[in-house]
Amino acid sequence: MRISLTRPLVLYPVSIVLGLGVWEALAQVMPRALFAPPSAVLGRLAAMTGDGSLPTALLGSVQHMLVGYLLAALLAIPVGIIVGRSTAIATAVEPILNAVYAIPPVALVPFFMIWFGLYFEGRVALVFAMCFFEILINVLQGVRNIDRGLLDAARSLDLTGLALYRKVVIPAASPFIFTGLRVGIGRAVNAMITAELFFSAVYLGQMLKTSSNAFDIASTFAVIFVVSLFGLACQEAMRLAERVVIPWHHESTA
Amino acid sequence: MSRGKAWALRLAGIAVFVLGWEIAGRIFGDALFAPFSAVIAGFPATVRDYHLFAELAGSLRQLLLGYLLGCIVGIVLGIMMGRSALLDGLLQPWVSMMFVTSIASLVPLFIITFGFGLMFRVTIVFMAAVWYVLLVTYHGARSVSPDLLQTARAFESSRLQTFFKVMLPALYPYILVGMRIGLAHAIRAMVIAEMYVIVGFGGVVYNAGVEISTVSLLGALLTIMLVGVALNEALKWFAHRTAPWYSERQQLSN
Repeated sequence: MRISLTRPLVLYPVSIVLGLGVWEALAQVMPRALFAPPSAVLGRLAAMTGDGSLPTALLGSVQHMLVGYLLAALLAIPVGIIVGRSTAIATAVEPILNAVYAIPPVALVPFFMIWFGLYFEGRVALVFAMCFFEILINVLQGVRNIDRGLLDAARSLDLTGLALYRKVVIPAASPFIFTGLRVGIGRAVNAMITAELFFSAVYLGQMLKTSSNAFDIASTFAVIFVVSLFGLACQEAMRLAERVVIPWHHESTA
Repeated sequence: MSRGKAWALRLAGIAVFVLGWEIAGRIFGDALFAPFSAVIAGFPATVRDYHLFAELAGSLRQLLLGYLLGCIVGIVLGIMMGRSALLDGLLQPWVSMMFVTSIASLVPLFIITFGFGLMFRVTIVFMAAVWYVLLVTYHGARSVSPDLLQTARAFESSRLQTFFKVMLPALYPYILVGMRIGLAHAIRAMVIAEMYVIVGFGGVVYNAGVEISTVSLLGALLTIMLVGVALNEALKWFAHRTAPWYSERQQLSN
């Protein structure tokens, strides 16, 4: 049997090595103040991890990201379920939701500064704003899309009140809820670094600012890389959580 | 629900929102949260003092440039990756990494690379749009039915004919959905870039934000909200007009 050379298992490592090679070659011709080779980035990454500055900054960043994200999820899920259960309310709310969603969240920063100040509370507010609507829209869609037959069956079994939500509505909408939570946590990581750049500069955002101001491009690349990797890890963690909490959905789509 | 009733509900929702804004505004005052009436009354002054429409038009021109470049590159790469396992494997790891990279984290780096001018703003918008267009097109290209392609081959159509007569029509709805998602991200990125260096429309938001009164700030937010909604509706309308048979694909965008 011939092994196909176009399988991801073969190609991905090739891709990474090739990409790094192109990057390294590009760095040879680009001025050092504008571009850094992967070897230098890796070196800075190791140094910044070794002296503890990078882990400390990441730990600081995670605080407002997690608080904002959890607040958004805790509010968006029940609101989405309640609004989604009523066709009338959902129809009435939809244009407003679309309109507010169209506002670029970063444009709210001056507004949040007035209300919450330049520090922790302001950053939490931005993270909240950037993932609340993302989660809400998905939960709403999940509840709106529940199979009518399922609800009719529940009604014929006299399932009402909280039991209806616990046994039918929430399980049926949960794939969408998890999609919202996964997309939302990606947005939360984006919001985390956005907040650190647009409010008073702290943690990873401050590292980005000081390193780029000093033309220390290798360090700038290293921080960008860490933020991307962290975002990826958070989304994969949510994917894993989805598989554990609602295994039936994964099996039906796999 | 009848169309008339749905519209009545939507209008009622908007009315309740505006009323709630007005009441909250009266309670908190102009400094914290200007009421709707004050924002509307002060809007002509906002437009005059900040050259709002001129700045907005300039920003939108640069947005269009970066966005269209992003669409072209995204569509071409998306189709190539979707149809070639080799290219898919070689590019996928880097595309996935770029996809999760936060646009805000790139801003300090791109300022070093491109300065504060046109190139900087266009590149940021490009980076925000291209990966979304690429991924949606890629999924579309992968899901083109083999039956269609085999039928084309059975009728001895050339590769070029197959591409233009079979592949592109099948991909078209995906491309439009990708372009809509890309546009939302492009607008966000535009405001991020402009607020950071205080130019164009983002500069207006920044400068209005440091005023004592929130009248101008909320006026600017209302403006970008309407622009975002209008552009999104225009693309939706265009998609519906040119590919009505695929309008269910729009679910992808949520």
